[in-house]
Amino acid sequence: MDQRLEALLQTIQKVLPDVDGIIGLKVNAAGHIAPHLFRKEAPAELDGLAIWPKYPTPDTLRLIQKAHPGAKLGMVVRGCEERGVVEMFKHAQVDLSNISLIGLQCTREEAEFCRCAKPYTAHAKLTVGEPIEGVPDPVTEGFLAKTREERLEYWKEQLVRCIKCYGCRNVCPQCFCNVCALEDEKWVGTGWLPMPLPPMYHLVRSMHMTAKCVACRECEEVCPADIPMAIQYRLIAGDVKEMFGYETGVSMDEKPPQLLVLAEGEFERTGLPH
Amino acid sequence: MEYKNVLTTCPFCGTGCGFFLQVLDGKIVGVLPDKKHPVSQGSLCVKGWNAHGFIYHEDRLKSPLIRRNGKLVEASWDEAIELVATRLGEIKAKHGPDSIALLASAKATNEENYLFQKFGRAVIGTNNIDHCARL
Amino acid sequence: MTNSFPDLEEAQVILITGSNTTEQHPIIATRLIKLQDKGAKIIVIDPRYTQIAQIADIYLRQKPGTDLAWFNGLMHVILRDNLANQDFIKERTEGFEELKAKVADYTPERVEEITGIPAEKLVEVAHLYAKAERSAIFYCMGITQHTTGVQHVWQCANLAMLTGHIGRPGTGVNPLRGQNNVQGACDMGGLPNVFPAYQPVTKDDAREKFQQAWGVEKLPAEVGMTIMEMMHGLENGKVKAMWVMGENPSLSDPDINHVNKALQAAEFLIVQDVFLSETAQLAHVVLPAASYAEKDGTFSNTERRVQRVRKAIEPLYGSKSDMEIICLVARKMGARGFDFETPQQVMAEINQLTPSYGGITYERLEELGALIWPCPNGEHPGTPFLHKDKFARGLGLFHAIDHQPPAEEPDEEYPFILTTGRIMFHYHTGTMTRRIEKLDREVPTCVIEINPADASRIGLNGKNKVRLQSRRGELIAEAKTTERVDPGVVFMPFHFVEAAANILTNPALDPVAKIPEYKVCAVRVELAE
Repeated sequence: MDQRLEALLQTIQKVLPDVDGIIGLKVNAAGHIAPHLFRKEAPAELDGLAIWPKYPTPDTLRLIQKAHPGAKLGMVVRGCEERGVVEMFKHAQVDLSNISLIGLQCTREEAEFCRCAKPYTAHAKLTVGEPIEGVPDPVTEGFLAKTREERLEYWKEQLVRCIKCYGCRNVCPQCFCNVCALEDEKWVGTGWLPMPLPPMYHLVRSMHMTAKCVACRECEEVCPADIPMAIQYRLIAGDVKEMFGYETGVSMDEKPPQLLVLAEGEFERTGLPH
Repeated sequence: MEYKNVLTTCPFCGTGCGFFLQVLDGKIVGVLPDKKHPVSQGSLCVKGWNAHGFIYHEDRLKSPLIRRNGKLVEASWDEAIELVATRLGEIKAKHGPDSIALLASAKATNEENYLFQKFGRAVIGTNNIDHCARL
Repeated sequence: MTNSFPDLEEAQVILITGSNTTEQHPIIATRLIKLQDKGAKIIVIDPRYTQIAQIADIYLRQKPGTDLAWFNGLMHVILRDNLANQDFIKERTEGFEELKAKVADYTPERVEEITGIPAEKLVEVAHLYAKAERSAIFYCMGITQHTTGVQHVWQCANLAMLTGHIGRPGTGVNPLRGQNNVQGACDMGGLPNVFPAYQPVTKDDAREKFQQAWGVEKLPAEVGMTIMEMMHGLENGKVKAMWVMGENPSLSDPDINHVNKALQAAEFLIVQDVFLSETAQLAHVVLPAASYAEKDGTFSNTERRVQRVRKAIEPLYGSKSDMEIICLVARKMGARGFDFETPQQVMAEINQLTPSYGGITYERLEELGALIWPCPNGEHPGTPFLHKDKFARGLGLFHAIDHQPPAEEPDEEYPFILTTGRIMFHYHTGTMTRRIEKLDREVPTCVIEINPADASRIGLNGKNKVRLQSRRGELIAEAKTTERVDPGVVFMPFHFVEAAANILTNPALDPVAKIPEYKVCAVRVELAE
């Protein structure tokens, strides 16, 4: 057994007696992996404990908590998943008071797959694996090397492939609005493929990822057309950091700027760097 | 408190995408794509993502229905099965097996289609079995 | 499909015809489109400028119902320019001389006249398809739903054999099956002429085998009726009773005014379904069936890949699985051989009687995830692509075929060609998808596609509705103007009962496959108000 998996199993076994269940990943006999709630009543299920490929587990926590608000839960989180639950917490989507986070540090290979700048956890008290540094994001860098005209062409080519599956929205741990702008005909037309330009679906989604995207790249992973939409979210995250000094997932009590704006009135624009 | 993911195959087109039905406390609450699936490779179309959306629909049939005086009215399973068996038996006896026709289903499972044609051929005694393969 | 998705990743040229792949098989479409990034070229030949047509490297638009001609044109060019695979033709095929003679007349210029495809574009496609090392053909109902449907399929095979693009990874003739388990329903003998695994009911040894296995004295030896023949049978009194398991012919069959009359004539109509479908509303007995999420089983996809369906929850609202219902009725009728408790037990019987499924057991599916038939025994790994060293009949047979017009062509009275199909957001007769809010909001009702030139000619602007009339019936629906269809052609989806395309469609059938000509009929289009 993989060393990290072995260590994770041991940590889970230590935590399990004190909680109602632990959210992690489970593999079936044919190698298919999905989120699972491990419980002490079914200890044998831990034989199927798995760690890769990752899944949007913050959403699993939200689902379970909605039905069981008081449940005492453990949860295996990678860096991005931890950022996911932290931001959901700030938007009142989950309650972290009864949650024990078990941090799982990503390997270099995993981080490269995700082009991840922060493949490590920052809040989990229990951790498994050695944290590594972030890795470069050649896709975003390649995009930045393009001229303005080339960028436009690039997006046109990419977005004509969109089949409007809503997968990027569905899988996103930060997409929890009851009323979704992507389903508002004023913004995004219905029922026609390919979606016409300007690409309102993707523009609206990019805007709504502002100060929310936790860079888990689940959206790109589920995209049937392999649209590298996280480029946009990443660039916007850079702007947010520059303009507001805000980074998702870093601190438990720093409010996201869009909530700040609502509380304190209009923010003074300082000019857009891109 | 129970949360699990049940791997299944999409009920819509012939592509055969795989996805998980998320089951929370015995109720289906959503769909998750299967990242290790050889066909769909972690993706789904809009129909697959919403394949759980009709399961609890209020229009689901809630009881067998039998036409009485021109109207479909609720009946028990025993009554309905009895009526089907009796009428099929009578019609077969009176008009011969080929007076009965069966439409199998491109929506049902292999096992169900197998049993249905077996029923048609072995019990009724007819090859009048088809389905919407051409439609 | 002769091939399967993993090996099709190796295709260099992908020829798609009669398939709005993005909307009918979205995940196949995106898989194919992504191959462009690896250098593959996509050719789309379709009367509609669909999303995949827009993305394709080459798009050709033919007039609906002229496919035989452009196939001949492609083969003409391939032979004229010495691009045929002579070794393959010599070793693996027969009937080549007849084909050669036939396509000799189909010069690109003549084909342009018939189909509207520019001659030089046809030449370009012929070269691209033939010269690549690995080219794959994909087709769907746009090819088959014609009175010449079978001949269209032969043409696909002709083209693949002429160039040797078959029997290897990344090649083949790949029909995209429309329904999740239409492949399996055929494999399991849900057809009037064959037992499971296509063993003919007319063959003595096949009948003997099943007689013995099922413990019956005599199985019927004559081929049974197809759907359309059943409908005629109901009308003329030959058929008295019909049992419909999870289908909705009341909306899906051609000329439904006629179909509904037939269904109403049934002395006894049994319908089992999840919802009270249009067909169920006509039934004498309606049996509530469990949905796919409430039962175990297997589906076979378009690649012949057999995969598990798993029960996530118990049957809802007192419904029962189709399996349980069939067994209950059979046992009530005193039949033996229907004492199954699980689909796994049924599969064990299938394994015994269905050679291509011989090694497809639940145990192996649990371990391997899926198996692609033919898989004759428990050690067999499955067959990702067919016809490797020889065809099922031995040598591949070329069919020499002339262009023939569709059964109904536009005329002064009915000047438009109507072609029907599906859209992304709905499925078949909409029994499921129209009840899913997220899909329904995208396309809540029927919208017809009409070319702007035609629209302005009939005075259509903005929100008007149009009336469509054919020799079978008429309906009113919303219209959208779009260059996606040529002038003279209208498209409409068939999902919607309030504007049911099959009121209009022509029940003319392909003489062999008995498939109706959904892709071409003549209609009149005028403003509704």
